[in-house]
Amino acid sequence: FQLLVEAGHFDSPPSVFYCLTSTTKLLGDLLREKPQEADGIDSVVVVDNVPQVGPERLEKLKNVIHKIFSKFGKITNEFYPTVDGPEGLTKGYIFLEYGAPTQALEAVKNADGYKLDKQHTFRVNVFTDFDKYMSISDEWETPEKQPFKDFGNMRHWMEDPDCRDQYSVIYESGERTAIFNNDAKDPIVSEERARWTETYVRWSPKGTYLATFHQRGIALWGGEKFKQIQRFSHQGVSLIDFSPCERYVVTFSPLMDTKEDPQAIIIWDILTGQKKRGFHCESSAHWPIFKWSHDGKFFARMTQDTLSIYETPSMGLLDKKSLKISGIKDFSWSPGDNIIAFWVPEDKDIPARVTLMQLPSRQEIRVRNLFNVVDCKLHWQRQGDYLCVKVDRTPKGTQGVVTNFEIFRMREKQVPVDVVEMKGDPESKTAFAWEPNGSKFAVLHGESPRINASFYHVKNNGKIELIKMFDKQQANSIFWSPQGQFMVLAGLRSMNGALAFVDTSDCTMMNMVEHYMASDVEWDPTGRYLVTSVSWWSHKVDNAYWLWTFQGRLLQKNNKDRFCQLLWRPRPATLLTQDSIKVIKKDLKKYSKIFEQKDRLSQSKASRELVDKRRSMMEDYRTYREAALQQHHEQKIARLQLRGGVDTDELDSNTDDWEEETIEFFINEEIIPLGE
Amino acid sequence: MSYSCALQKPILLQGHERSITQIKYNREGDLIFSVAKDTVANVWYSVNGERLGTYNGHTGALWCVDCDWDTKNVLTGSADNSCRLWDCETGKQLAMLNTSSAVRTCGFDFSGNIIMFSTDKQMGYQCFLNYFDLRDPQQIEDNQPYLTVPCAESKITSAVWGPLGEFVIAGHENGEINQFSAKSGEVLKKVKEHNKQINDIQTSVDLTMVITASKDCSSKLFDSTTLDHIKSFKTERPVNSAAISPIMDHVVMGGGQEAMEVTTTSTRIGKFEARFFHAAYEEEFGRVKGHFGPINCVAFHPDGKSYSSGGEDGYTRIHHFDPQYFDFELEA
Repeated sequence: FQLLVEAGHFDSPPSVFYCLTSTTKLLGDLLREKPQEADGIDSVVVVDNVPQVGPERLEKLKNVIHKIFSKFGKITNEFYPTVDGPEGLTKGYIFLEYGAPTQALEAVKNADGYKLDKQHTFRVNVFTDFDKYMSISDEWETPEKQPFKDFGNMRHWMEDPDCRDQYSVIYESGERTAIFNNDAKDPIVSEERARWTETYVRWSPKGTYLATFHQRGIALWGGEKFKQIQRFSHQGVSLIDFSPCERYVVTFSPLMDTKEDPQAIIIWDILTGQKKRGFHCESSAHWPIFKWSHDGKFFARMTQDTLSIYETPSMGLLDKKSLKISGIKDFSWSPGDNIIAFWVPEDKDIPARVTLMQLPSRQEIRVRNLFNVVDCKLHWQRQGDYLCVKVDRTPKGTQGVVTNFEIFRMREKQVPVDVVEMKGDPESKTAFAWEPNGSKFAVLHGESPRINASFYHVKNNGKIELIKMFDKQQANSIFWSPQGQFMVLAGLRSMNGALAFVDTSDCTMMNMVEHYMASDVEWDPTGRYLVTSVSWWSHKVDNAYWLWTFQGRLLQKNNKDRFCQLLWRPRPATLLTQDSIKVIKKDLKKYSKIFEQKDRLSQSKASRELVDKRRSMMEDYRTYREAALQQHHEQKIARLQLRGGVDTDELDSNTDDWEEETIEFFINEEIIPLGE
Repeated sequence: MSYSCALQKPILLQGHERSITQIKYNREGDLIFSVAKDTVANVWYSVNGERLGTYNGHTGALWCVDCDWDTKNVLTGSADNSCRLWDCETGKQLAMLNTSSAVRTCGFDFSGNIIMFSTDKQMGYQCFLNYFDLRDPQQIEDNQPYLTVPCAESKITSAVWGPLGEFVIAGHENGEINQFSAKSGEVLKKVKEHNKQINDIQTSVDLTMVITASKDCSSKLFDSTTLDHIKSFKTERPVNSAAISPIMDHVVMGGGQEAMEVTTTSTRIGKFEARFFHAAYEEEFGRVKGHFGPINCVAFHPDGKSYSSGGEDGYTRIHHFDPQYFDFELEA
């Protein structure tokens, strides 16, 4: 510190003393006020990609910046460095100081990425980050090498030489889960485990993974031996969904949500196991909350008046903002293209409408107005070739509800729409389903017992033709084969399991059968087999699953103690091109011969096995019977003694004991009127 | 399954107002006895279904009935806490043995001289197996069995005599089967192949084998002397009763659920079926519909040409087999 020697005389110590004291005090204050390098820097942000302007436009620029950045807090200081002195252009980056570090953080969170104009998108960082990144060690530490986890061939089940599909079965009320290979003779166990899952299981969309549920989260299993591939920790998980590409899995738990840290819904990267993003969730009533585009590039969810579309892999909102769609009731992705269909109900003078929006451009490619709408349901055809909007309307001047189907032809220019009106009882319920791979659809309408099944064909010439109507059907559900053409009309649960197998190429009833009290119907992925089942969850007796051919011929009845659920393992898309499929179909006769021979061989082998088994069982039984009868013979004397010498070994051992009796048999009753 | 038993029209025995609990043929097969929850015990001519008579006296539901080898005496056991002896021909009650709890199962031994019956575990009393020698009238007069065997662990739910009257083969609530000596009461042999209640045990006509019917939805064949487990017959419903054909390698089983547990299944008319299994192959080969409720008891006629079933619906149905039944063979 400084000693102010000049102030005062040598012989007046008090002055010197005073000076010392005041200097110290002053110095202390000064020292405290000395700018520390750390002071205030936490509240400073650096904004890059700011337009470079000359002094004449600087004021305007500052106003614009102020307008944007004062939203996050009071700007206490700003610095716009320029090139070559105050007359030059600004450098393109600026410094802004806020009153508190939290405000600076807000600015970074919200303004980073802000698009000022086409050429200028702000990048905002806290100033202290520069220090952090500068002080990164120059020494590069090679990250530790993770040993490669080889799960084997994840598509192993597809290589079954007999092309058997797999299915999972949960039984013993959830205690046991088994994976079977579907063989027409008998199911063949591939894997069976106790307590593999705590509630139920799910297959991933291409069949690669089996997901099981546990209190602490979910586990994915796969490969030949169903090893555990990945685990996702989400306490209390109750629902899951996979992205169609199998890259991501979405888990939901009602337990885990907090205001600061959204954890109700979590999206995970399956291969790395990383948590990608968490979301809040108000209600899981309509799961899945997030709907995926067919290619996994986008996922979207609907909240009050809002449609939020996110993109992968960033997991950020597309264009950084949600779409405001007032009154939006429902939306659905096309299964073939990145198009979303959504509908909004009537709003004062504006009619209800269905909109088709292309993503990511957000261009509305089709809008359709609908009048007097009560409700709409969106039904996409499997390939996205058609969209059906089932519209329930109350026409003006009437009380009842009328149902129309608005068919959007997606593959034609400007997406023309055709309308099919459902005639008949307006109060009745309807069910609708598109034919996969085709252009037909089936409708169930009417009130039990007069339920009608109608089949329509959407033709190329702009017409929609009613091919056939079957009346008085015992059906409440439609199940198309995943390959198209064949389908089943099922009367599940309260309709006692009536099943009608239909070939829609000529709309013939192939078979009408029944699986009493069936609660579920599942087609195998190839469309060759159908499983009907009575789940313990819905009915406490006769729990079993039955296997049928696609034509309705019963192949197996599999009883399983407290059978709960059967799910076929999905197949990935075929690797064959449409052309190679055509070629194979042409040569089908050649292939048929080979397969028929193989089938006959395996049939006779099975018969032979069964016959051999029976033969050996009979031999064992005969051996036992001989020994038992031998012993019986040896006990004859004892028997005679017990019955006072009477031989009762055969029914006719004592014919002298027999009596002759006359008995009457009631033959017929005839009423003969007596004469007048 | 490739044979559906096409039978002649069955003979319907209508004489009970509540569910049938047991039916039994006499040794020669000309008579069939039926007992039910309505306190009534009936005897019928099996050939035409004509009722011969009724044994009146019990005041509670009847659980069991048996007839001695000579068709002289009839034994019944009831929830009115008594086991009664009757003269078969006249219907006269010859003896009444009072007990502390319901009589669940009863039977004459091979000689017809010794009777056994078991009482239920209820009202603080445990299950007992009682033996009376009918040649000693004092035992009846004093209601003093010569042997009483307590069953502390699991109560007896069904029992039959062994081939020479030396032991009783009993099935228990926990699925166990025990041989109780008729001389000492000790357990000579025991097995546990079922894991739920044994609802019924019946012997083959030559007494070499017994068949059990269990709530665990299966029926099993055992050797009566060694209790070796010979065969198993599996279904998906609890089995209430099973019987062995006297002349073919067949067994018949009847089942369903208890009335309390039945909800919608029973609304299907005539849905309850008796099932026929091949005894050696353990495969089901035929079913007979007809009962309006679960089948509680099945029995083969001693000549093996017909069988009967008694149901929860109160009906007993006598079915005569048509020629196809005897010719039917599974490929082997």
